[in-house]
Amino acid sequence: MIQLSKNYSLPERQEEPIPIKVVGVGSAGSNALDRVLLDGMDKADLIAINTDVQSLASSVAARKVQLGRSSTHGLGTGGDPELGYQAAIESADEIRQAIAGARMIFICAGLGGGTGSGAAPIVAQLAREAGSLVIAFATLPFSFEGKRRAAQAQDALSRLNEIANAVICFENDRMGDMVAPKAGIHQAFGIADMTISQSVRSIVNLIQRPGLIRIGFDDLFAALRSQNGRCLFGFGESDTDNRAHDALTQALKNPLMDKGRMLSEAAHVLVQVAGGPGMTLSEVEILMRELGRHVRDHTQIVFGTAVDGKMGNRLSVTIISSLASEDSIAAQDTSPPPEPFLAPPPAILEQVEEPPPAPPTIDIVPETESAASLEPAPDDWIAVEPPVAAEAPPPPVPAPSIKKPAPRLIPPKKKPVVEKEAKPPKEKSVQAKQEVLQFEPVTRGRFEKSEPTIVEGQDLDIPTFLRKNIRVK
Amino acid sequence: MSNSDLIVGLEIGTSKICVVVGETRPDGTLRILGVGQAPSRGVRKGEIVDFETAMKCVHEAVVDAEQKSDVMIRSVYVAVAGGHIQSFNNRGCVILPEERDEIDDQDVEDVKINAREVSIPAQNAFLHSIIQHYHVDLQDGVLNPVGMLGGKLEADFHIIHGVRTRIQNTIRCVKELPLEVEDVVFSALASAQVVLTQHQKNLGALVVDIGGGTTDYILYVDGAVKQSGALAIGGDHMTNDISMGLRIPMARAEKLKTEEGSCVLGNCLPGETILLKDDSGFAGKEIERETLNTIIHLRLRETFELLKRTVEEEPFINYVGAGIFITGGCSLVNGIDHLAGEIFEMPAHVTHAQTLSGLTSAVENPQFSTAIGLLRYAQAVQVDRPRRGITRIFGRFFSGMR
Repeated sequence: MIQLSKNYSLPERQEEPIPIKVVGVGSAGSNALDRVLLDGMDKADLIAINTDVQSLASSVAARKVQLGRSSTHGLGTGGDPELGYQAAIESADEIRQAIAGARMIFICAGLGGGTGSGAAPIVAQLAREAGSLVIAFATLPFSFEGKRRAAQAQDALSRLNEIANAVICFENDRMGDMVAPKAGIHQAFGIADMTISQSVRSIVNLIQRPGLIRIGFDDLFAALRSQNGRCLFGFGESDTDNRAHDALTQALKNPLMDKGRMLSEAAHVLVQVAGGPGMTLSEVEILMRELGRHVRDHTQIVFGTAVDGKMGNRLSVTIISSLASEDSIAAQDTSPPPEPFLAPPPAILEQVEEPPPAPPTIDIVPETESAASLEPAPDDWIAVEPPVAAEAPPPPVPAPSIKKPAPRLIPPKKKPVVEKEAKPPKEKSVQAKQEVLQFEPVTRGRFEKSEPTIVEGQDLDIPTFLRKNIRVK
Repeated sequence: MSNSDLIVGLEIGTSKICVVVGETRPDGTLRILGVGQAPSRGVRKGEIVDFETAMKCVHEAVVDAEQKSDVMIRSVYVAVAGGHIQSFNNRGCVILPEERDEIDDQDVEDVKINAREVSIPAQNAFLHSIIQHYHVDLQDGVLNPVGMLGGKLEADFHIIHGVRTRIQNTIRCVKELPLEVEDVVFSALASAQVVLTQHQKNLGALVVDIGGGTTDYILYVDGAVKQSGALAIGGDHMTNDISMGLRIPMARAEKLKTEEGSCVLGNCLPGETILLKDDSGFAGKEIERETLNTIIHLRLRETFELLKRTVEEEPFINYVGAGIFITGGCSLVNGIDHLAGEIFEMPAHVTHAQTLSGLTSAVENPQFSTAIGLLRYAQAVQVDRPRRGITRIFGRFFSGMR
């Protein structure tokens, strides 16, 4: 609370909305962007960035940037990230102009193709350099699209993870589960767009909406902090009689939520409940209590609520959280061996080992800059990074750092961060498993003297709520 | 009214004992003459644990029924339940002798015996073997093979069996009264007779009878029984959960469950309470409604999920077209059909005995589905073996003459 008021008692707070820009990179990104626009978004500027002029022309975004006028000549990249990267470098100035002046930038991109994978990290980097906070919404390709695309997507994702303040990743495969098997393929892709659009809109609303209990950048980043982890996101909206319950159920149904099961492992959960003037305290209370069943006792719940006249009769819930996925831990554990092979050898190895030149990590530049220019910005996310700097003392930064793609350098930098982030949750999850075991004798009440009903190793005569460790009072 | 037209169904339940007296009419309809009941003691999870007490209770219920229907009860059909009851499907096969190719009644009997020749645990006894379909020379779906030509007769049977001694306990309890036991019937099978129409059986339906001590189920596909069984979980467990969760006596918990209980969550205002009125004059206790509903919800959800896992061990649930039919005393819990529908992902209905004349007020209560179903079952059996009582009397008469 105190932190909030310190951060946000700035003069512009009341009247002026925080300048936010939503950028769609590549065709998938601009599709998502169109969706955001069609769903209605008046609190942010939308910018479409693409190499393909045709696709760009059909976009409904207000501002468009064509990449690589001379390298791709208005055509697409043909699925080559290198080309996408070149094109973005070529048009860096235009991108810079387009994204200037935003405090917060959302980047929507479909990874796996050329423009999305190649240009999105550059856009993110330029945005960080301009002092904005960057949240990337990335979709990973369907697994049937082939291993090559998946590899390109993973590569781009790890770079985005490096650069952006937070990455919310949508796996198309998972989206597919939401669509009925009979539905057309456009619908399957549409679902991904819809989910992204929902996420973008709800985060923008979260930040822009005048809140009774306000949620700010710092809360948002606290919830999203675990880098490279799995982002949990859920949004639900309802206007039925039982809207609190329905909205929450819908939010937990989101494919990124796994029916709320994932929530039990999160350390921070950010919840915003927004509704029209008719929203009652008891509704919020019901909702939060119901949500409480999905999280563990020591999970920190950051709660915000907002009343918005435009909501009318609807009530919406946004849940954001993240887990450091065990996958990523595993990936990190295995990453050291291939490292030497990956690294285009001598120069980089040198850089890693000897302190002064240090990793020419691109985002150290924006980091220092943003720390300076963004005074009100949260300390939270910055706090995450120091270990990196400590490990590799700040270099004499190569200013036009863009010229260096440096994708190969990721492992050395990422490792410490992830390890630091990932470990605590892992320990916790072990604890959580232990809680399930019951050592105290449980009474069977009325059935004390009758033959026990044991099914699947459980004595069903013991009240269900006791066996499932659900507190009813 | 000749006594042979009188049918009596007796269900020894965990929470109550119920006796239904009915008569079959010449046009084939059933008429309920009276319903007698008594609270049950000495029964846990559908099985008798205190013989003497249970017998007294059965006696009370029978006397009550006799008074209400104004008849003398001599013989009854008894429903049995309990977690020990199991079932499986088996196929019997009979090869006709070379010189004959017309299938006759004897072959059908033989194939039934053949189908029963499977190993069930030594202490178990057969309760029912229900015909599903006949196959004549690999021709599927034959309903009545008598008179057909063929070389090989096969039959699929659904066989229900249970622990012999436990079934005998029930029979002995009735015989000591003394009443004659015409037949013992698995309770879900009885319930299904009145809960489902023939059309629903053909479409495929799952009948779930949630009683006090047990949850019995039977699954129909294509008009034939495909799966059945019992879980030893019921309303008693719910009451016990409430009693332990809210720290109130069992009797009070039972009352609370029947009067206020619901398995719908998030439907009441936070802090909404129920005031427990104490008849002994002490200050009442306040109970949070959501807490009560949560306890009931968790138990019911678990029961349905367990039932679903059990039923899904075989593929038949996928062919259920008409949905789930919930009956028995516990089906009166508010919102149970929504919960079942949500878990099984198919339409769920709370039902009671259908298509009967007479005391309709008694009929329209899901608590009596099993006992009334016994009548329908008996009626169906008696059509098969016409006028069993009369034949016997005549038989005796004739043998006396000789």
